[in-house]
Amino acid sequence: MWAKLALKLFFREFRRGELTVICAAIALAVLTVLTLSMVTDRIGQSIAQKSSAFIAADRVLASSHALPQSYLEKAHSQNLKTAQLTYFDTMLFANDEMQLSSVKAVSPEYPLKGELKIKARLDAQVEIVNQGPSAGNVWFSESVFYALNVKVGDTVELGAAQFTIEKVLVEEPDAPFNIFSSSRRVLLNSADIEKTQVVQPGSRVFYRQLYAGEESDINAFYAWLKPQIKENQQWYGVKDRQSPIANSLNRAESFLLLAGLLGIILAAVAIAVSAKRYCERQYDPVAMMKTLGGSRDMIRKIYLLHLSMVCALSVLIGLLIGFGLQDIAANYLAKSMNNTLPAAGIKPWITAISTGVICAVMFSIKPLLDLFDIPPLRVLRRNLGDRLLVSKVHLAMSAMTVFLLMWLFSNNLKITAILFVSTLVLIGLLFLVSRVIFGGGRKLGLRPGNSWSLAIASIQKRANANSVQLISFALAIKLLLFLVVLKNDMIADWQSQLPNDAPNAFLVNITESELPVITDYLAQKKIQVSEFYPTIRGRVNAVNGELVAREVSLQDNEKKDEEARSGIGRELNLTWLTQSPAQNEIIDGEWFSESATGEASIEESMLARLDVKLGDTLTFLIGAQSFDAKITSVRKVNWATLKPNFFIILSPDVLADFPATYISSVRIETDQKRDFSELLRTYPTVNAIDVDSFVKQIQSTISQVSLAIGFVLAIVVLCGALVLISQVQASLGERMQEIVILRTLGAKGRLIKNATLYEFLLLGSAAGFVAALVSDVALFIVQREMFDLAGKLHPHIWIIGPLVGGTFVAVLGYFMIARTMRKNTQGLLRSLG
Amino acid sequence: MSALSQVNIIQVNGLSKTVNTLEGELPILSDISFNVKSGDSVAVVGTSGSGKSTLLSLLAGLDQSTQGEIILDGDALHTLDEEARAALRAQKVGFVFQSFMLVQSLTALENVMLPAELAGSANAKQQALDLLEKVGLSHRIEHYPSQLSGGEQQRVAIARAFIGTPKILFADEPSANLDSKNGKLIESLLFELNEQHGTTLILVTHDEALAAKCQYVLQIEAGKLVKDTSEVLADVG
Repeated sequence: MWAKLALKLFFREFRRGELTVICAAIALAVLTVLTLSMVTDRIGQSIAQKSSAFIAADRVLASSHALPQSYLEKAHSQNLKTAQLTYFDTMLFANDEMQLSSVKAVSPEYPLKGELKIKARLDAQVEIVNQGPSAGNVWFSESVFYALNVKVGDTVELGAAQFTIEKVLVEEPDAPFNIFSSSRRVLLNSADIEKTQVVQPGSRVFYRQLYAGEESDINAFYAWLKPQIKENQQWYGVKDRQSPIANSLNRAESFLLLAGLLGIILAAVAIAVSAKRYCERQYDPVAMMKTLGGSRDMIRKIYLLHLSMVCALSVLIGLLIGFGLQDIAANYLAKSMNNTLPAAGIKPWITAISTGVICAVMFSIKPLLDLFDIPPLRVLRRNLGDRLLVSKVHLAMSAMTVFLLMWLFSNNLKITAILFVSTLVLIGLLFLVSRVIFGGGRKLGLRPGNSWSLAIASIQKRANANSVQLISFALAIKLLLFLVVLKNDMIADWQSQLPNDAPNAFLVNITESELPVITDYLAQKKIQVSEFYPTIRGRVNAVNGELVAREVSLQDNEKKDEEARSGIGRELNLTWLTQSPAQNEIIDGEWFSESATGEASIEESMLARLDVKLGDTLTFLIGAQSFDAKITSVRKVNWATLKPNFFIILSPDVLADFPATYISSVRIETDQKRDFSELLRTYPTVNAIDVDSFVKQIQSTISQVSLAIGFVLAIVVLCGALVLISQVQASLGERMQEIVILRTLGAKGRLIKNATLYEFLLLGSAAGFVAALVSDVALFIVQREMFDLAGKLHPHIWIIGPLVGGTFVAVLGYFMIARTMRKNTQGLLRSLG
Repeated sequence: MSALSQVNIIQVNGLSKTVNTLEGELPILSDISFNVKSGDSVAVVGTSGSGKSTLLSLLAGLDQSTQGEIILDGDALHTLDEEARAALRAQKVGFVFQSFMLVQSLTALENVMLPAELAGSANAKQQALDLLEKVGLSHRIEHYPSQLSGGEQQRVAIARAFIGTPKILFADEPSANLDSKNGKLIESLLFELNEQHGTTLILVTHDEALAAKCQYVLQIEAGKLVKDTSEVLADVG
């Protein structure tokens, strides 16, 4: 019997629109999470697939020792594709010329991800291939052709064997971005390594095994491999590398994650607001049903059935709309990226459904419990039950639910904690602010018949309800401001690292005597050049007099940069400078004074790796000579910039007596390439590293990621706007009685509409202002802690926040009230019931 | 008036109600005693805040007394918990309120059927239709409360009050929210149906003319029963 009544009430309530808001709020939660999760998942997969090309594989195992074949066999058995690379430096001989070059010997499967770009001749068009040279052939980068004065088809000696120069190597997907490595690259078939006889015991050779396949297969393989990884072996994916790509990918992922988290908070607020409103509107029917003999148990069953049906219906609606929305978005993004997006997994569906159900249950349970407790006496005492106590336990449970949902969704405790705590601080601040606003207004004189007076009186009268509204408005505005500003900062930061005129080549190995001539030549040809850094190779031999080589070589940290790791076991590139580089930040100690002698500035990760501290003395070995330097500062280095960076910088006096070479970065426009090639031919010892294609690759990835971020932001902004709409709608319900009274007493529609407009304007502005302040503090922390950006304040949002908040909330309120005001007074009276 | 053959359907003995305020305990009703015979009509009158509505809420089991006994048709109301009181109301009590208290999402017919449905009765529709006809609303059965005038809403509320043939009907200022024409109509309907169904009527009102239509009058002032027109009351002392 109760079920029949419950269903009848449900469908009637639904038809009357009473359940629309709560249903929309739950559907909103589900569609937000589903859309964001799916789009993020699909873009993430696509970017990961694309970015895998930067290491020519999904994962790499690197070592300075030969790697066991058993690893490859196991990988094959787990459905992974593999390839092998061997790196060594050797001399090339041709036409009585010789040249030191970096050789990369590749197995036929290389590259597993990405493609090779080659040319049939120096002046031919670029071709794309998916395999390296066949046995007996080599491919040279352009600079090797110049250095050896050879052409395609010539023969070259490499170690003990002779090879035919088959192609011009234009681009490898995994070309190392290390300006200290040689730009003279040679690609060789790995089957030919043996006949060169170059690789002997004690030779400096580096090995890589490349792996590609499904993420689950890779993870299963890694689980098997991990216990066997030795100190000299390193396992990494594209995101583990300290490179601009890794950096931008990690940041983008964090941003998408943040957007999803904020979507969950917004949805939770919307559900809480609408559930409360719905339950409050059911107080009278429940009191009546109890009076007429309805038992508590029956009422509980009726409303729990309503909740279940609302939940099921809205989750279904949310899933359908969310799926459609993400499909539209994915198609648009795929088109913009000139790519297809892989299908999303099951996880977004599970996350979305559980978010909807958990949010619906957790945020309606307290209003529902209040509803069950409504005394039947309310039929006689109309305000009974209006002031039910706020349960601290429920508040704590709701907060905990939001926290857990955020944590489950993000799998990142730190970011969850930052967002959660900043939101709690915001709520606390808002309570204080609301007290000041609603209390302070009492001093203002009130004149009846004036819209402003009416608005202020209305705000004061509903101090408690308005505090809640202020908090909800501010929360939504804060989250939106937070995301918009973060997105702008992040993209601005990327663009500042790689502006359109970013250097696209490095000049390395310039001697002191060549420096003035090259500087003049570059100036004459109007080639943009940054400052020249002196460099010298040396080794850290001891810390405070104790040898460190063994200790350092045993370091094992999977996340550390591979180049940096190998650099420490061998020679490092040292420099000396009078001023700290712009892309460096001193985080401890002080930069060298003018009179500094025997001092060293160390990069923070190197500080940890060497296990040293400020004041320790490092002993360096350059050739056979050694010298000491005391650590006087620690630097944080932005590795994402395309500028020379150094782990250790010494005070100028220390290296004064050592011969150095110089490096710099240059910007070469297309019409300057011939002049630049001329320079390289004139000075064959100078190496040029062309990073043009690398920069373009980064810029293209960043623009795609920016597009994805912009889209996700648009979805969250839409959700935020809908939350604001539901809050305004909920609050209008509370104002109805007053509007009816004013209307009945003859107040003009304009007076009421204006009073509502001003009231919402004041509320929205106050909410916007506080939201801007708190967003800015949260942004400062998140930028520093999560995004590795320089934390900064954004005073402009302190103005934009109140302006946008006030305008949006006021306009929304005005239009909603205008719609209500179209009813005649009798209609208004009846709608109150 | 109260014939000797009639049984006491309501027995009230030493009834008191106090509420806790910041200043301490505030007495609302003090030591009220009276009996009402089955089929009688009793008006409860008094000034605003005198305790009339509190007395009504206690008699109907909507609230609990602080002290004293209420026996409603043989059931000791003061010993029952909320659930048992609700069950009792479902079986024996009907209500008419000043503010109609109709469920906005149900039609006139469904509102009338609601008490029967809550009591688990499956065959309430015909009875509801009959009652709606009696109150002159057979043409408005599918209308929602917001589509009815105040007078019509109260007529629906009266029809609802009589469904399930309750033994006692509690009415709280049933015509106070209506114009005099509709007020008169509602009053006559109430008494007419009360007589037809043989229901005991407890009516709270300010209106002396309406009170005069009842067989007995209980006057409450400052929480005390100061005047009664019933010999039965004297018996209880």
